[in-house]
Amino acid sequence: MRAAAHAGAGGVPTGAGEASTAAGDAIRAVTLGLAVVAFLLFIGYPLCWLVFGAVGLPGDFSPHFLVRALTRPENVAALVNTALLAIGVGLLGIVIGVPVAWATARTDVPLRNVFHALVGLAYILPPYLTSVAYIILLGPNAGYLNRLIASTGIHGSSINIFSAAGVTFVIAMHVYAIPYFLTYGALKSVDPSLEESARMLGAGRWTMLRRITLPLVAPAITGGALLAAINSMALFGPQAFLGLPAQIVYLPTRIYGALSGYPPRYADASALSIVLVLVTVIGLSVQRRYLGHRSFVTVGGRGVRSARHALGALRWPLALVLLVVVALSSIAPLAVLVAAAFSKVWTEPLTLDNVTLANFVAALADNQIAARGVFNSFRLAIAAATLAMLIGLAIAYLDLRTRLRGRRLLDYLAILPLGLPGTVLAVALLQAFIRFPVPIYGTIWILLIAYVARSMPIAVRGANGALRQVDVSLEEAARVAGASWLTTVRRILLPIARSNLMLAWLLVFIPALGELSATILLYTNGTETISVAIFRLSDLGQLEVVAALSTVLIVVILVATLVTQWLAARGRGGTSAVPNM
Amino acid sequence: MKRTMRSHSYSRRIFLSRMSAAVGANSGLVRTVGPVCALAAGASASARAAAAATGADVAKAKSEGNVMLYTSLDTKIVDAIIKPFQEQYGIKVQYYRGGSADVSSKVLAEAAARRIQADIVDASDVGAFLAMKSVGILKPYDSPSTKAVAGNLRDPDNTWVADRLTQAAIQWNTKLVGSAPPQHWKDLSDPRFASKLVFFSSSNGDGGPRLYTLALAFGWELLESYAANKPLRVATPQLVTQLLESGERAAAFCTNDNIAWRSKKLGKPTDYGFPTEGVPTELGAVGLLKDAPHPNAAMLFYDWWMSETGQKILVDGGKYSSRSDLAPPSGNPPLKELKLLVLDYAKYQAQRTQLLERLTRIFGGEWGA
Repeated sequence: MRAAAHAGAGGVPTGAGEASTAAGDAIRAVTLGLAVVAFLLFIGYPLCWLVFGAVGLPGDFSPHFLVRALTRPENVAALVNTALLAIGVGLLGIVIGVPVAWATARTDVPLRNVFHALVGLAYILPPYLTSVAYIILLGPNAGYLNRLIASTGIHGSSINIFSAAGVTFVIAMHVYAIPYFLTYGALKSVDPSLEESARMLGAGRWTMLRRITLPLVAPAITGGALLAAINSMALFGPQAFLGLPAQIVYLPTRIYGALSGYPPRYADASALSIVLVLVTVIGLSVQRRYLGHRSFVTVGGRGVRSARHALGALRWPLALVLLVVVALSSIAPLAVLVAAAFSKVWTEPLTLDNVTLANFVAALADNQIAARGVFNSFRLAIAAATLAMLIGLAIAYLDLRTRLRGRRLLDYLAILPLGLPGTVLAVALLQAFIRFPVPIYGTIWILLIAYVARSMPIAVRGANGALRQVDVSLEEAARVAGASWLTTVRRILLPIARSNLMLAWLLVFIPALGELSATILLYTNGTETISVAIFRLSDLGQLEVVAALSTVLIVVILVATLVTQWLAARGRGGTSAVPNM
Repeated sequence: MKRTMRSHSYSRRIFLSRMSAAVGANSGLVRTVGPVCALAAGASASARAAAAATGADVAKAKSEGNVMLYTSLDTKIVDAIIKPFQEQYGIKVQYYRGGSADVSSKVLAEAAARRIQADIVDASDVGAFLAMKSVGILKPYDSPSTKAVAGNLRDPDNTWVADRLTQAAIQWNTKLVGSAPPQHWKDLSDPRFASKLVFFSSSNGDGGPRLYTLALAFGWELLESYAANKPLRVATPQLVTQLLESGERAAAFCTNDNIAWRSKKLGKPTDYGFPTEGVPTELGAVGLLKDAPHPNAAMLFYDWWMSETGQKILVDGGKYSSRSDLAPPSGNPPLKELKLLVLDYAKYQAQRTQLLERLTRIFGGEWGA
């Protein structure tokens, strides 16, 4: 096994053969090489084990599992459901995310900063919590909104959240933030001179939007929708909370079913995972082909802000539309959870008689696992986000700034974990590290590896996006002027890319803080996370305590977000000073 | 490993063959069992003395300082049982709590990796103990605390002993069901319960055994009629109760008696019952691990867990104890008044995949097959 893993590693040069590297720039080779080794160990090595597992190694070698994965009717149904989910979420992501991004980034719609923050909140809310909230809101008989509908006397119009449409909707309400943020970032950094030129040439507002702005940000839109779609396939939480009660299966829930029993059917699970990976690879190739020949350079290091469109009479109607979006995606779910956190009985209205702080005491003082979970999640998320961004930067750098052979392979590999449900990644890691000479299994390190691996797609895409925004001519200028590679990276590349990198860091940090599906298979006594505590308490039906813990989690995330954004904003100030360096 | 388990465990009939011999049950996979707890009547007096006894070296146990329990029992009960033990011996009890299948698969995975972290395992699934025994990871222990447990509720080789019995009850929301609560299994087939039913099973099919028991006793048509009512399915009995309490669903089949008991005790608008025609029952069991990191502390805790005092805490949490000297949870009938339906776990294990596939065909969804 190990030999094969090494063969895989050996197939990718680690930077030593880079021809264009100037002599003496060993630091570059070593830095990039280390990142690549870590990356291969965290993703390549476990994926090898997943592939071995799919053909029944060790012990049960047979192509039978792969054949069965593709031919069993239950699996075909799961594959179809999963594909429909991804398509639905991808489309909803564009339909919702892009107009909202345009409104907040490029118009004078009122409260735009509030809306922007609330979209962030929708992404912050772990999707399993959104699902719980939506059961409270849209349970077919007892849901708040359905009782409201029933009280209007319109019969037969209740909305059933336990349905394929319900799963698609709740997931879309979480992941539309991805196309939103990517489009928002791209719209913000479109070189205004392009739009100014169009204007001067007589283009109207809509023509400019259609012919100049949208094509410029198209990579962000399609990339965002693709990420949203792929991410939706792996979001086990809503699929389990909302799909399973209605007997709707998706690939991750099939895989979970194969693994959570005894003896765990690793081979079946691995084979089904391979199917998911294939779907992911197809999605990625489509995006690559579509974007292959376009230039993304829209920022030349100048921090000039684009003008906002004056909406006139449409300002408030548009604000109302945005309000509906953020109400459904963040305000309502959050309000339901916070209300439950302060309730003695969550089903009753939050009157004075029903208010209590006991749930917070239960969550933070009485329950040792929960208290430890807050601490563990926090340190894991910080470490994972930082490590993932460092590796992601190296991968993105290799892809964009070198002609290293195998760099494309690295980029493909990096996107793969997105198509792996956390559960499956966990199984790959389990199989890989149970036999590893260094004791990693059963320690907090395996969680760190899982988080880094899971966040690799976002880290690499984020770093890639950030680097693409930096015109390579600036670095070349620095090198010509005699700066070393390290200096160039430190003084040119990172400062310009800094605010985008910090946002990408945040996009890794937040899901890591609430990561559930991999954690649940990898944690052990002492390494519980906040999500483990929430999941276990939720299974035990203690919804008020779950809500209290969720509230704590959300507050922690909000504080971290505000601090990071503040730092990123300072970074932007630094960006505008770059030309003076 | 898989192959070993097949050849050993599935051919064994450990306790049910003895149980059927004892009560003269009918043939087939489901045995109709009489008064389980009365079988060892008379053990009560000796049990009291045995409560304090232990086969463990207390000094060594204390020097080990810790014990690691893997359990599927509700944490409120686990916390209550642990507390006096920690106070008495100063040994810290840490635990991992998950569903029965989570617990079993975690132990088996650790065993396969030769990195056992658990000292004691407790799960509401005798089938899992048969599997664990067959791969040789359980340590035989004839605890002085288990004398009050009937012979048909334990492994003759002492690798595990039953600690509790969970009955599958009908539970309902009193506001929604009104004056005519469902009393028999077939009552829930009524179309008036269309889109009003809820039941539980994790994706690994841990709710399967009791449904299978029901089907064997009363016909697969019963389950098909439930499926026709489009029941909602959640992962745990606690979530079943949550949906009943909130009024999202009106009635549940095959939920856990202790969870239903607690909901009613807390004054929620729910009630529950045991159909007179028969109630599926599941044994929970406890066992020691051969490669336990804290073997003496584990034995000491095992003795406490199974002692009359320890088990009384379990009963106070709404569970039926396996000990014959303990009364049922307050307000519940004694088990001898119920017609208990018990599954032959060895046979169930052998046919598990086909049965779960059948449940998949009937209910749809994910059953781990």
